[in-house]
Amino acid sequence: MMNLPALIELAHIQLRRRPWSSLIFLGMCLNLIIAPAVYGAAGGEIERSSAWAIGLLGLLTFGLSIYLFVVIFQPERF
Amino acid sequence: MWQGFLQIALTLIIVIIITPFLGSYIARVFLGKKTFLDPIITPAEQFIYNLSGIRHKEDMTGWQYTRAILYSNLFMGIFVYLILMLQGVLPLNITNLSAPSWDLALHTTISFLTNTDQQHYSGETTLSYLSQTVCLGFLMFTSAATGLAVGIAFIRGLTGRTLGNFFVDLIKSITRILLPISLVGALLLLILGVPDTLAGPATTTTLEGNIQVIARGPVASFEFIKQLGENGGGFFGINSAHPFENPNPLTNLIETIAMISIPAALIYTYGIFANNTKQAWLLFWMVFAIFILLVGISAIGEYQGNPLVNTLLGGQQPNLEGKEVRFGWVETALWAIVTTGTMCGAVNGMHDSLMPPGGFSTLFNLFLQIIWGGQGTGTAYLFVFLILSVFVTGLMVGRTPEFLGRKIEKREIVLASVILLIHPILVLIPSAITLAFPDALAGISNPGFHGISQVVYEYASATANNGSGFEGLGDNTLWWNLSASVSLLGGRYIPIIALLLLADNMKNKQPVPETTGTLRTDTVLFTSVTAGVILILGVLTFFPILALGPIAEGFQLAKGI
Amino acid sequence: MSNSTSKPRRTPQGRRDSRRHTPKVDTKGIYQRAIRDSFVKLDPRVQVRNPVMFVVWIGTIITALLTINPYLFGNVPGENLRFFNGLITVILFFTLVFANFAEAVAEGRGKAQADALRSTKSDTIAKKLSPDGKIQEVSSTTLRRGDIVKVIAGDIIPADGEVISGVASVDESAITGESAPVLKEPGSDIASSVTGGTKIISDELTIRVTADPGKGFIDRMIALVEGAERSKTPNEIALTVLLAVLTQVFLIVVATLPPVANYVKNPVSVAILIALLVALIPTTIGGLLSAIGIAGMDRVAQFNVVATSGRAVEACGDVNTLVLDKTGTITLGNRLAEEFIPVNGHSLEDVAGVALAASVFDETPEGKSIVRLAERLGAEVDFDRTQAEGIEFSAKTRMSGTDLPDGREIRKGAVDAIKGFVRSRGGKLAADLDQAYERVSRLGGTPLAVCQNGDIYGVIYLKDIIKPGIRERFEQLRRMGVRTVMLTGDNRITASVIAQEAGVDDFIAEATPEDKIAVIQREQAEGKLVAMTGDGTNDAPALAQANVGLAMNSGTQAAKEAANMVDLDSDPTKLIDLVTIGKQLLITRGALTTFSVANDIAKYFAILPVIFAAAGLQTLNVMGLVSTQSAVLSALIYNALIIPALIPLALRGVKFRPLTANQLLQRNILLYGLGGVVAPFIAIKVIDVLISAVGLV
Repeated sequence: MMNLPALIELAHIQLRRRPWSSLIFLGMCLNLIIAPAVYGAAGGEIERSSAWAIGLLGLLTFGLSIYLFVVIFQPERF
Repeated sequence: MWQGFLQIALTLIIVIIITPFLGSYIARVFLGKKTFLDPIITPAEQFIYNLSGIRHKEDMTGWQYTRAILYSNLFMGIFVYLILMLQGVLPLNITNLSAPSWDLALHTTISFLTNTDQQHYSGETTLSYLSQTVCLGFLMFTSAATGLAVGIAFIRGLTGRTLGNFFVDLIKSITRILLPISLVGALLLLILGVPDTLAGPATTTTLEGNIQVIARGPVASFEFIKQLGENGGGFFGINSAHPFENPNPLTNLIETIAMISIPAALIYTYGIFANNTKQAWLLFWMVFAIFILLVGISAIGEYQGNPLVNTLLGGQQPNLEGKEVRFGWVETALWAIVTTGTMCGAVNGMHDSLMPPGGFSTLFNLFLQIIWGGQGTGTAYLFVFLILSVFVTGLMVGRTPEFLGRKIEKREIVLASVILLIHPILVLIPSAITLAFPDALAGISNPGFHGISQVVYEYASATANNGSGFEGLGDNTLWWNLSASVSLLGGRYIPIIALLLLADNMKNKQPVPETTGTLRTDTVLFTSVTAGVILILGVLTFFPILALGPIAEGFQLAKGI
Repeated sequence: MSNSTSKPRRTPQGRRDSRRHTPKVDTKGIYQRAIRDSFVKLDPRVQVRNPVMFVVWIGTIITALLTINPYLFGNVPGENLRFFNGLITVILFFTLVFANFAEAVAEGRGKAQADALRSTKSDTIAKKLSPDGKIQEVSSTTLRRGDIVKVIAGDIIPADGEVISGVASVDESAITGESAPVLKEPGSDIASSVTGGTKIISDELTIRVTADPGKGFIDRMIALVEGAERSKTPNEIALTVLLAVLTQVFLIVVATLPPVANYVKNPVSVAILIALLVALIPTTIGGLLSAIGIAGMDRVAQFNVVATSGRAVEACGDVNTLVLDKTGTITLGNRLAEEFIPVNGHSLEDVAGVALAASVFDETPEGKSIVRLAERLGAEVDFDRTQAEGIEFSAKTRMSGTDLPDGREIRKGAVDAIKGFVRSRGGKLAADLDQAYERVSRLGGTPLAVCQNGDIYGVIYLKDIIKPGIRERFEQLRRMGVRTVMLTGDNRITASVIAQEAGVDDFIAEATPEDKIAVIQREQAEGKLVAMTGDGTNDAPALAQANVGLAMNSGTQAAKEAANMVDLDSDPTKLIDLVTIGKQLLITRGALTTFSVANDIAKYFAILPVIFAAAGLQTLNVMGLVSTQSAVLSALIYNALIIPALIPLALRGVKFRPLTANQLLQRNILLYGLGGVVAPFIAIKVIDVLISAVGLV
């Protein structure tokens, strides 16, 4: 069992080394919380897989928005 | 109908006449020139400076000015919140009211602190006289003065001056502008029949023999600063529709003019600061044109009335639902556009009952924020739009865009963009969340397209620091109080920070001399282009919401469903 | 100028085309390569650098997923969803490809140019001179700054450098396109620097290398036209922010739409929302922005100017003041002796004799023309040349001359300098000298006084010839709001006559090198952006001080390093063309941004009414589009096609007209603002009719 600081350290290293795959992994993890919420909110009108997809889409949109903020505040990097 | 439009024209002519006088008076005050009030006020101000220990000769940088605003507002906010929560045990609580819920008190504090005065309560049954006067009356002055100070600091920076000192600007705004005018205005209202007393509610026996309790209080003094400072938080729940707040057409006229006078005059004040009254008038007329358009749209909408009702009546009748008969459709429509345009938020009729064109126009005002705009900040936003138009169109003349001889570069665009972005973020995102859970969160009284307008209006009003509402909404809930508080705070302080930093930035730039290759911004052409940019940016951002709200509702009504 | 019949040139295209530097650019492969590159650029790591197109890229991925499974995000109404989503995916994909293509074409043109340049620059064997004097053969790539090399006739000069000894003619056609060989010799301002890759065709030179490998001129030029060193200019960065903000706004607008739409029971599918988002975000300018910048640099390179950064080119558009040397810019380089005016009772023959004696060692064109005129008048050299000593001109004394073997000192130079000389020799000033001086000055000529010891003999009238067409160019500049300042060593009267004839706004007479810096600093203190041209070493500080410094390639290494642009043709008037290019860059960006944003109105009117038909918004379908699917597809197809349609405009640049700012704004607002509102309404309607007729949807 790893302790928390080491875990964060590992996540940090992974994020820097493989940013894309780490972000996708993190997104999937976050979606573990979001997707059931979406499913619950829809009141059974959608399937579980759709709820999962909508959760991911929401996260993606959120990520895109963050990305655009980075562009707005640090345009030189692009 | 024509008589109605004549009333509108008369009101606006008075506004046009007042503008240059008030505008140059404000400019004289903030340029430190002599004014006729000096003999009385200078010693009073000196006393305040000595008492408070403000180093009033020191100018502030953008950050210092910002920090001064944030700290002083935070301090005032905590003070007011505590009084509201303790009103049950504090004096001047004649009607024995208990403290409001924590979230309502928080929302009320923030709402009055941000010059919004959005009310999720009815004043006469929720707040004691102490809360009304010491808390809300106090915030009505300071929040209006804060807005004015920001506007002036922004104009100073834009015209290459140092930003000034926040505390001095705050005090001057109150002692030389808000307080003297309010004093005269409150006396006028008092003469015209508005009560002003610390006595408790009057109890009478009606003709039918019932006992009626009539709420009253220190209304006249509260009323005028409510209008003048673009506050809008009524002493009574139904605001200026209440006969004690606004008893007759003459008080209505005075109160309408009070709302519009400072935001309109500030454009002229800019002209004096920039030494370019030509541009000031051009901008004035640009805003005026959009304003008149919106007044026209809503007035005609109200005049034509509700087609469904008209069918029942067998003829065209103006829409009088939610209106006071003593004001009629004209004065209510004009008031609605003025109050949403100037971010006052006081109402003399229910906006929820406006016809779709009125709903559209009021919402559009809240979205644009510059059809006169809030106290100080509205004028500043107008110049932010001007900077954005200069940037987009200025490139087309083949030079790095300049405004007032200062180059518009990355940093200016970033800061202007923050102001442009914060509005849709704080209006659309909470609206979408609320509408996603209509049963749990919204409290909509009128489902369908109108429901969308109700929800969006509430957040737009909060973000734009207006304060009026589509009052059908059941908004005294935890969700509404807290989510609206976020919009209130974000819509007030983030733009203020951006404005002051932008002003500071512009001030520090080396001015570029004007040549024939410079794009002049004081021409009819450029002003028209600016109007186009403002409308296009505003429409593009909010078109879907307007389409699904008032526009769809209008089509629905027209079809007679 | 009455003798100028040529039309005023408005754009950099035009007369100079004939002189344009086109070093055998191979344009055949450009388009094939661009097509290949536009697919290679689909790599997300490339796309992420362009915020607007990155959003389209993400949208394409999602619609592709929706083509595979239309019900990915839950049930949506409608038939043929897979086909419809597939069409959206394809259109979005092509939107990306078109944007990439624009950039690739712009880059391709640069690359072709770079290849042509590179072909002139192969590794050569350099004869490196060791400190002990031995010659060592090394590869040119190993040469470092400060090394000394020897080149002899037939060699390729291995690196940029400065001649330290020898006289030789060099063929610089590889970089300048000028076929006539140039004389190179040490010490002189204009002829001492050589460029790597050029060929020495006679004699031999010893050269001190002044640039490390890969840092030479040709390398810098290659890097620049290839776009490898391209960093965004300040205006481009500000525009990027604005585009990101607009994208952000529309992302929020579209992302918050579903709950609102669901609330009024008019749900919208994710594919249509993505289509709406892509239609609204400024893809037109987003897709063309980098192409505009690259093409701008390319145009600069075509004018045979090497710019150290795009920033400098963009700054050209902002220039308020142009500081120009009179000689070579406003007037033809060489002044010629026109007349001798005797004073002080001397005869014309006497003056001619003294003038000849004063000029025998003067190798400048002026000096030679004096010799020619004197000889025509019958004067002869009456002393032993080998015994006499030539006194060189210096900026300080402002005169030159000859010390004869018999002790006579003969001088010629600026009139007041000669006056001073005469006074110092105890001579008297002639009364008619000032008359002669003024006469020449009034004619716009340069008066040179000649004297022998303390005796003034007369005045030489050097005639200046103003370049044809220059007046019109200054007129254009004035309308653009650019002030021209002429610097000249001439006296005030001459300067004012020439200034008036040439039409410059201001002039500085009797200017010293310090005056140049002073005038630039004074203008800058007023907040103006100053451009200047120069070639001499003494221009270097002024070139560095100016916001835009254009050095002549024929100039010294110091001048070239101080400047931020170097003109390989050594044509000082080129600054005017650069101003135009700089302005064009900004205008093109502004025009396309305005167009892009104005387009959104039509796209809203195309898409919103049909997707919210259930909410009763059909009435707003002013274009009368056939169906939801056809409306969405039409808007998207328009959105995609407008990019390639505008590629030529982006590459060529919006035509610049020398009008005042307000006239320009009026023109461009009508064209790109109003046009941007109207054009898509028509185009989308036409596309809708077409795709419905074909039966696509």
